[in-house]
Amino acid sequence: MKGYTGKILFVNLTTGHIEERTIPDQVYEMLLSGVGLGAYVLYNEIPAGADPLGPDNVLGFTSGLLTGTGSLMTGRWMVVCKSPLTGGWGDANCGGYFAPAIKQCGYDGIFFTGIAEKPVYLLVNNKGPQLKDASHVWGKDATESEEILIAENTVKKKPAVAVIGTAGEKVSLIAGVCHDRGRIAARSGVGAVMGSKRLKAVVLAGSKPIKCHDPQAVKEISQAFAGKVRKQNLPGIVKGGFLPVMGKVMGSMKRVAPLDGMLFASLMKKWGTPMSNGMSATSGDTPIKNWAGSVKDYNRSYYSKINADHVIKREYRKYHCYSCVVGCGGVCNISDIGQGKFTHTHKPEYETCAVFGPLLMNRNLESIFYINELLNRAGMDSISAGHAVAFAMECYEKGLITREDTGGLELTWGNAGAIIKLVEMMIAREGFGDVLADGVKAAARKLGRGTDKYAIHAGGQEPGAHDSRFDPMMGVHYSVDPTPGRHTIGASQYYNMTRLWEKVSWAPAVKIYPKDEEYMATDREALKSVAGACYKQIVDGIGGCLFAQITGVQHWQAFEWLNAATGWNKTPDEYMLIGKRMQTLRQLFNIKHGIDPRTFKMHRRMAGDPPLKEGPLKGRQVPIDAMMKLHWKHFGWDENTGVPLPETVQELGLDQLLQKG
Amino acid sequence: MARGEVIIDYQICMGCGICVQACPFSYLELSRYGNDPYKRLYPELEADHGCTGCGICAKECPLECITARKKDEKKDVPLS
Repeated sequence: MKGYTGKILFVNLTTGHIEERTIPDQVYEMLLSGVGLGAYVLYNEIPAGADPLGPDNVLGFTSGLLTGTGSLMTGRWMVVCKSPLTGGWGDANCGGYFAPAIKQCGYDGIFFTGIAEKPVYLLVNNKGPQLKDASHVWGKDATESEEILIAENTVKKKPAVAVIGTAGEKVSLIAGVCHDRGRIAARSGVGAVMGSKRLKAVVLAGSKPIKCHDPQAVKEISQAFAGKVRKQNLPGIVKGGFLPVMGKVMGSMKRVAPLDGMLFASLMKKWGTPMSNGMSATSGDTPIKNWAGSVKDYNRSYYSKINADHVIKREYRKYHCYSCVVGCGGVCNISDIGQGKFTHTHKPEYETCAVFGPLLMNRNLESIFYINELLNRAGMDSISAGHAVAFAMECYEKGLITREDTGGLELTWGNAGAIIKLVEMMIAREGFGDVLADGVKAAARKLGRGTDKYAIHAGGQEPGAHDSRFDPMMGVHYSVDPTPGRHTIGASQYYNMTRLWEKVSWAPAVKIYPKDEEYMATDREALKSVAGACYKQIVDGIGGCLFAQITGVQHWQAFEWLNAATGWNKTPDEYMLIGKRMQTLRQLFNIKHGIDPRTFKMHRRMAGDPPLKEGPLKGRQVPIDAMMKLHWKHFGWDENTGVPLPETVQELGLDQLLQKG
Repeated sequence: MARGEVIIDYQICMGCGICVQACPFSYLELSRYGNDPYKRLYPELEADHGCTGCGICAKECPLECITARKKDEKKDVPLS
């Protein structure tokens, strides 16, 4: 009755053995659920040095602690494993309807070990779990497979499905796990691990109730939040053309002031994440031309073509994930693109638009819609795929690869036809596409010839489309997180809107400050990045949405929901300690598997080495080494190595918890 | 033949989909366009539903905007 079920399902794909395991309450009190539960199970279950694509790796699907309790924007599910992309901790999360479905089957998580002899899928309904033959959907794309599996497994309740496409089957290291015809848990190569296990899908059709401590108190908090979101609507006169102007202002500001995050909600309600397409291009937030260009290159004649209004022109309905009152997603008509190969696609997210737009100097929005659907069906991470194409284009420009390498493709900047063809080749692992299908680090290793200079990544993972020279704290998280290169962990922009200082005693308060402060390695900036990382772990433990988080703690009241759902009555400071414990456990996972945290430092270009010569980020440099050290120090990790200190591990009680595991 | 039905107050509903996932028979779906300019979808019973009026959707709705009832109770609850 605390929002979690206290049970997980453990499936050995080699033997076919399925068992239910009980998780002690103490684990939830110390690590919540979601990514925390995943870290607990994987730390204990995966032997040091295990091959990420071998039978010893464990792949888990977890729901959030608050999922299904009546709280809002807490419906994200998490995929966890040892990442084949980074060699360390791997996770990816996704919206849709799969997170409550896990709990409705009676579990907080479903974990897989071993490798099946032939393709299988797991079906769980109220009668229990069973492994079933998946040979009839193996080789089909994620959307088609999902439709077949739903049709053949609908008895009473329509199942929720997590499924890999052909990219996962072909063990592309940048493959993800798909859901609801185009949502994807994309990062860390989780789809490659699923494919390596010959696990095509997880199909959940349970209808068990999800119980919590005080459902009425949870509802009261939800109603207060929903009431605020309901009122957040932009005036009709505000059109998409306003966004690049706003970006220009943001990019030129010498001082920064924290805004109320609810403004963000109103933008999301109207446009979703593509609101950033024009705004981030002009502010300096979007990396351009493989992180070597600026808005002087991707100028108005480019960014105006991909601006938000052009994207939502094709949107015929909004898409809400489970328990979401904002509804930033959408479904778009694309029947006139690509000779009608596809009728519709989920609205491409900002990240997809940015990496297949400005990063490649591409202004053909139709090509971005088309690629979005190609990738969603194949189950390939658009962030990594876009960076792989950018890497190839820069190598081509520099003469390090030629048409002979590319199979005749003219990989010049902005060549939309060549970009589409190359993505198709990557999905099929054909010719030069096979070189790129495992991400930029592997591609540079395969090609040699000094191409690694243009492989933009952190610790093997391609970064999100947010420039660390615009928001240096983003660069800190790109470099220090146990899953490097991730744009969802923390940033100054997120911190300023989340307003943790209103509830957490040690989180530095922010008023108006000079933008230059963000570029200084100070204890204060480090405390902010530590606080952001701790809170993000809580969000990932409860199934929370990043876009809900950054409306601010005074609006989206995660701490209060947690107390109402569990009856724990912890203070925000106590919850932040849980976040610190979760993050430290993820780091310990990496240490156990031989990762040197220093090697996760982002590519030098991302830190402004060499600095850009024009645009809003002209001359900006990030003292990343000093910032990483300070971040580690304030986490209680060795400031020189990033290894959690023994006293920190002890203070957090992880030594005892892990010994018990 | 449906034995029950649900009434949703669309002035309050925000299309969060919790009721859709809660329905043990998947009779609710997000398919009704509202009056807002954003093309949001709201829940409604599917065309050939067999709603039993079990009330699980109403119980789960965080905004308390759903009323569920058995058909034989219909005369007691006025339709809005």
